[in-house]
Formats: sequence, C-alpha cells, structure tokens
Amino acid sequence: MSDLEDDTTIFSTLKSFKSLIARPERSLHEVEPAYGRSDLQKLYTQRVEMEEAAERIRSHTSLLQLTQEKQQMELSHKRARIELEKEAHSSSRDLQRQMDLNQDLLTKLRRLEEKEGKANQALNDEMENKKALKRSLEEFHKQANDKDNRHAEANQMVSELKDEVRTLNQKLQIQESKFSTQNLENQALQEQLEMQRKKYQEVNQRYQTLQSSQLSNTESELKIKELKRRLALQEQDSIIVKNMKTEVARLPELEREVKRLQEENLYLRETKENCSLLKEETEGLRKKLERMEKVVEEKLKLELEKEKLGQELQAWENIGQTTGLNIRKPEDLSREVIQIQQRELNLKQQNYTLTSNIRSLEKTRTQLQSEAAELRSKAQEEQKKRENQDALVRRLQKRVLLLTKERDGMRAILESYDSELAASEYSPQLTRRVKEAEEMLQKIQTHNTEMEAQLFKAQEEAGTFKLQAQAVTLELEAVKEQLSSVSENSSKATDEELNSLRQKIEELETERQRLEEQNNILEMRLERHNLQGDYDPVKTKVVHFRMNPTCVAKQQRAEDVEQLRVECERLRDRLRKMEAGGAVTTDDTTLVIPPSQEILDLRKRMESAELKNQRLKEVFQKKIQEFRTVCYVLTGYQIDITVENQYRLTSAYAERMEDSLLFKASGAVGSGSMQLLETDFSRTLSELVDLHLFHQKSIPVFLSAVTLDLFSRQTVV
Amino acid sequence: MCRKAPVSSLFINKWLFLLCMACCTTTANTTFCFRQTFGINSILYQRGIYPAETFSRVTQYDMSLQLTTDPKLKTYLTNVVTQLKEWLFDCTVQKLVVVITCLETNEVLERWQFDIECDKTAKDSSAPREKSIKAIQEEIRSVIRQITATVTFLPLLETACAFDLLIYTDKDLEVPEQWEESGPQLIDQSEEVRLRSFTTSIHKVNSMVAYKRTNSM
Repeated sequence: MSDLEDDTTIFSTLKSFKSLIARPERSLHEVEPAYGRSDLQKLYTQRVEMEEAAERIRSHTSLLQLTQEKQQMELSHKRARIELEKEAHSSSRDLQRQMDLNQDLLTKLRRLEEKEGKANQALNDEMENKKALKRSLEEFHKQANDKDNRHAEANQMVSELKDEVRTLNQKLQIQESKFSTQNLENQALQEQLEMQRKKYQEVNQRYQTLQSSQLSNTESELKIKELKRRLALQEQDSIIVKNMKTEVARLPELEREVKRLQEENLYLRETKENCSLLKEETEGLRKKLERMEKVVEEKLKLELEKEKLGQELQAWENIGQTTGLNIRKPEDLSREVIQIQQRELNLKQQNYTLTSNIRSLEKTRTQLQSEAAELRSKAQEEQKKRENQDALVRRLQKRVLLLTKERDGMRAILESYDSELAASEYSPQLTRRVKEAEEMLQKIQTHNTEMEAQLFKAQEEAGTFKLQAQAVTLELEAVKEQLSSVSENSSKATDEELNSLRQKIEELETERQRLEEQNNILEMRLERHNLQGDYDPVKTKVVHFRMNPTCVAKQQRAEDVEQLRVECERLRDRLRKMEAGGAVTTDDTTLVIPPSQEILDLRKRMESAELKNQRLKEVFQKKIQEFRTVCYVLTGYQIDITVENQYRLTSAYAERMEDSLLFKASGAVGSGSMQLLETDFSRTLSELVDLHLFHQKSIPVFLSAVTLDLFSRQTVV
Repeated sequence: MCRKAPVSSLFINKWLFLLCMACCTTTANTTFCFRQTFGINSILYQRGIYPAETFSRVTQYDMSLQLTTDPKLKTYLTNVVTQLKEWLFDCTVQKLVVVITCLETNEVLERWQFDIECDKTAKDSSAPREKSIKAIQEEIRSVIRQITATVTFLPLLETACAFDLLIYTDKDLEVPEQWEESGPQLIDQSEEVRLRSFTTSIHKVNSMVAYKRTNSM
C-alpha cells in the first residue's frame, strides 16, 4: 500500500512536472506573439520558475524518497520487531518448555530420590528381616537343639522309667513273696486267735464267777451297813439313856428351884402393884408441879401488871399534881375532861362564828370594792365627759375664732367690693362671685361641722374604751385582791385540805394510769385470744356439723387401721402355718392371696427345668445303656464300676457269673494307666497275665487273649 | 379422702365462697357468701386437703374458679351453707372458722377465722343493692390475692389432713339436729396473721389465719 501511495505521489509529481513544463510552453506559446522584448525575461523567469519547480520537485521527490525510506525502515522495523517478538515468543516458549522439562526432571529426581530412599528403607528392612530371620533361624536351631536335648532326655527318661518299671516289677515279686509269707503268718495268727478265743471263753467264765461273787459281796456289804447303822442307833440310845439318868438325878433340885421361883413371883407381883400405885402418884405430883409452875408464872405476870397499874395509877394520881388541877379521883379527871371538851366546843363555836363573820365581812368588802370600782368608773366617765366638754369648748372657741375671722374677711371683701362697685362694671360678676364664695363657705362650714362631729364620736368611743379598760383592770385588781385575801384567810385552814386534795388527785392520777395500762394489756390479751379463736362461753357457742369431714376422715382412718391390723394378724398366722407345715394347705381359704406373677413364672420355670432335668437324665441313661451294650457286644466285656477307680470286667464267655477281672486306675483318672488286681478268676489266668501284661505290657491284648481262651473253652470246634 | 400436699389452704376460702354463694338470699348476703365460699374452695384446693383432680374449673361472674366435684363434700357443703345462710340472715353468726387437723396426731394445724360483724339495722332495709360484677370480681380477686400471699409463709402440710367448719353463734340459738356443740379447737402455740377485712352492705368481715408454730424455726 505504501508502494502504491509512493507510486501515486510519484505519478502526481510527474503530472505536476509535466503540467509545469506544459505551462511554460503554453505560456511561451501564448506570450510569443504578444511581446518580443520580454522573451528573454520570460524565458529567464520561466527557467527560474522551472528551476524552482524542479527544486520543488526534487525536494518533493527527496521527501518522497525519504518518506519511502522511512516507511521502508518502519516496515523493516516492524518486521524486525515482529520477528523479534516471534523470536521472543518462541524463546519464551522454549524457555517454558525448558522450565517444564526442568520441573519434570526435578520431580523425576525427587521421585527417584524417594524411590532410592524407599529402596534404602526396603533394603534396611530387608536387612533387618534378614537379621530377624537369622535370629529366628538361630532360635529355631536352638529350639531344635533343645528339642533334641529334650528328646534325648526323654529317651533317657524312658530308659529310666523302663528301669524303674523293671525295678517295680521286681518289687512286685518281692511283695508277692512277702504276701505269701504274710499269708503264712496270717494262718499262724489265726491259730493264735483260736487259742485266744478259748482263753477268752475261760476268762468269760471266770468273769461270770467273779460277777456272782461280787454280787454276793455287795449283799454282804449291805448287810454290814445295816448292822452298823443299828449299832449306831443303839449307841445313841445308850447315850440318851445316860443323859436321862443324869437329868433324872437333877429332878429334886429343879423342884426346889421351882418353889423358890414361885415365891419370888408372888413377891414381884405385889411389888408390881405397889409400883403402879407409885407411878400414878408420881404422875399426879408431876401435874401438880406443872400447874404450880404455871401459877407461879401467872403470879409473876400479875405482879408485873400490878406494878404497872400501880405506876399508872400513880401517874394518874400525879396528873393532878402535874396539871395543877384539883384531881384525886377519876371523876375529877372526867370532870376536867368534860370541862375541856366544853371549852373546846365553845371555842369551836366561836371559831365558826368568827369565820362566818369573816365571810360576811369579806362579802361586804367585795361589795364595797365593786361599788368603789363602779364609782371610780363613774368618776372616770365624768372625767372623760369633762374632757370632752373641754375639747368641745376648745373647738367651739376655735370655730368662733375662725368665724370671726371669716366674718372679718368677708366684711373686708364687702367693703372693698362696695368701694369698688362704683368704679367698675363688674358688679354682677362680683355679686356672683360673692354668692359663690358664700356658698363655698357654707359648704366648708357644713364639712367642718361634719368632721367635728366625727371627731367627737371617735373621741367618745375612745373614751368609752378607755373606761371599759379601766373597769376591767379595776375588776382584775379586785379579783386579785380577793384571791390574795382569800388565800391569806384560808391558807391556814385550808392548807391541809389543799394538800390532801392534791394528794388525792395524784393518787387518782397514778391509779388512772395504772388502770389504763391494765386495760391496754387486757385488751391486747383479749385481742390475742380472739385471734386465737377464744370466745366468751356466756354469750357464744361453737357449733359444727355432726358428720363433718374431719370426723369422717378419722373414722375412715380408724377403720383402715383396724383392717390393716386384722390383715397383719392373718398373714402372721399364715406364715406360722407355712413354716410349721411346709406346703400351703388347701383349706386355708380364709385368706386367698393371689400369687403374684413372679411366683407363677418362677414355678413354671422350675417345672420346666425339672422336666428338662428329667429328660436329660433319661436321655443320658439311655445313651449310657446303649454305649454299655455296644461295648459289651463289640469288646466282649461288660465293664462295671464297683468302687471308685476300680473297674470290673466280666467276659461274655465267662463260665460263671462271678468270674471277673478287676482293674484299678493308677495315677490320674484320665491318664488311662490301669493295673490288674488279684481275683479268683485272674489267678486262673496267671500265664496269660505273665505273658501279656508283664512282658508285652498291653492290656487289650491280654483281654482279647482271655476272650479267645474262654471262647475256645466254651465252643467245641 | 384426704392427702398430704405442700400447698396453701386457699381451697377453704374458695369453698366458703361457694358455700355462701349457694345459700344467701339477699344480694348483699349473696355476694358476701359467694366471696367466702370461693375463698374457702380455693383454700381447700391450694392447701391440698383434697386431691387437685377432684376440682374442676367453673366460670362464675366471668371468672374461672376451682370447685370441688367430690359428691360427699358437696353435700356436706350444701348442708352447712343452707344453715349458715339462715343464721347470717338473722345476724346470729359471730365467727366462721375453718379448722385443718392432722389425721395422724389429731392436732390442729391451721385455723382460718372470719369474724362477722353484722349491722342489724341494715338488715331490715332489704332493698337489694345490686353490686356490679366488676366490684364482685375485684373483691374476689383481692381475697384470692391475699390468700395466695399467705401461702408463702404458711408451713407445709406434710401429713394427711382433714378440715372442719365451726360457726360461733349466740348462746341461746337453737341448733338443728344435725349440728352439735364442739370446742373451739384452738391451736397450741400458734402464730396469727391478720388478713384484709372487707365489707358488704350488711356485714363487715375480718379474716385471719392462725397456724401451728413449727419447732424448726
């Protein structure tokens, strides 16, 4: 495209050049005929223009060339750039590929390393395994060795055991020999036994004789005892007889003593009577003594009283002397007393009269005081009135003065007005003024009088108030005076009354307080009781329904308790019966306790278990029987267990029922080592025993040999 | 018939309410009695004297209340209530007491006492004063509230209990055949608590509860 553009520019420049060239030619052609002298100039100018055009064209072309070059360079640049970019891309791609490869290689390296590690580990493991195996091998070797050793030991043991067996067999033989000797000994012993028995019988006989002699002995001893006893009794009797003799010898003496004692008795009785008499006398005397003592005391008291009375009498007698009156007898005293009393009465009367006088005087005094007060008040009123009158007078005087002044003034005005009347024209006005002035004056005067009247009233009121106040003060003073007078007069007489009254008041106050407190306490108590539900039985009563729930509940409870008790008793009886009788009897129908579910289940289980047991037993029995019959049939021997560890074999072909072989299990029960015991039957088979048991050491062979032998014996071929 | 329960004796009050409600003639009496029976029923219910399943909810005066369904108890209550109604009308009742006794030891555990002060003059003017339902409800609610409050401090009734109703009347009152005199059944060593008093147009009722002091305190 740029080439095309270059071409177009080239073409355009060429065109322009051509056009330029053509123009001058035309211009040349056009100009020629016109001017002749300016041909050179025109040519010059044309040349110049052409040169300029050529320069321009050259510049254009150079420009174009430059631009072309530039474009080419740009192109080449671009191409180079593109190529470079491509190269860069490719190189980057290569780089990436290289990187990937690198990474792959690295991962591969790592994997290989891991593999190597694993291989190493595996190697190590293998090594260890190998070592373990070696060790195990060694161990196995050791075990093998051990086993060989043990085997060798076992062999040794076996040999030893064989030796032992041999020795045992030898021992057995020895034992058998010993046994035979023992049998001989046994026989000897039996003979001895017979001898011993005979001896025993002899001894028995002797024993019996001995017993009989013993019996006779005992009898004789009894006799001896009896005789001894009799002897003892007789001796006692003899002693008694001796004592009796001595006592009898004492008899006369006793009689004498008895007589003496009787005499003494009589004497003592007499003396007893005397004694009692004397006692009575003493008692009487004692009582007298007591009475006398009492009398003496009374006497003393009376003497004291007498002295006192004497003293009193003397005092009474002396009264006359002390009081200075003519008293010698009590009548005089009474007389004196009466006189004194009369005097007292008189004095009292005088007192009363005096008091009444005093009261009357007081009353009059009060009256007088009140009159005085009234008079004073009146005087004061008068004074007030007077003062008022004086004030009035003064006012009047003042008024008079004022009036005169006014009059004078008015007169002066009138005179002046009169003098001026002729001069001026203002006479009606003046007259009017005068009238107005007069009216004003009158008004002022009336106002004045009113004010004065008010003032007067006020003064009067003040005066009355003052009077009242003074009267009240006077009354107060009078009352005070009365009080003081009263108190002065009655202080002496009524002090005591006042004190007593005050005391009474105080007592009453205290009592009142006490009663108030008591009242409060009682009220509180009452309240409390009321709260608690207490009531006054006089006024109220408490009722409730007969069949109330509490009652019913209590009855119910009692019934329940009774029922429970009865049930308890029944259960206890039942328990006792059960413990005593074992099973529950069917006639226990009074109490039917339904058996609980558990018990029924347990019973069922028990029954089933028993059934199972039963069945198992039967099965076992059957099996055992079967097995035994099979054994008998197959082996030809019936094996019975007679005693623990002993087995009795009876052959099928035995000639007699008692022919049996006895085997004993030696060693552990399950080990199976048996030993043949001696029986009658085994003695007949001694050859077979020697052959099969001692030499061949096989019991089955022995048994089969026995069977064959018996079978051969039985059947006749 | 009775069982133990550690709840308050609201049932009694509620029951008393029903009691009185069922019996009273004048509305003032009715409302008073209604309040009382209701309170007593609630006491019995809450104190657990009777098992809770024997109670059923009943709507009265737009409020749901617990009433007993035990037939024996109902007959007993109606009997007592009819009698009480008469006596209330005559103003011869001084106190109404609900006594809760323990069945095992036969001792009184709680005592709900209602002192009734009757205005005898007002009885003659028996123009029935209709109390608004709201007022009745308010009173019932207040009583229940009070009783619930007392529940908090009343000791638990551990053992089986039974209740009894005692009426304090004038001495010279003739009692019918079914009623008998009894003791006041006081509590030994009791603590007393005064409850709110309320008034109707005729009566003034002071209520209080006394309970046996527990030794553990």
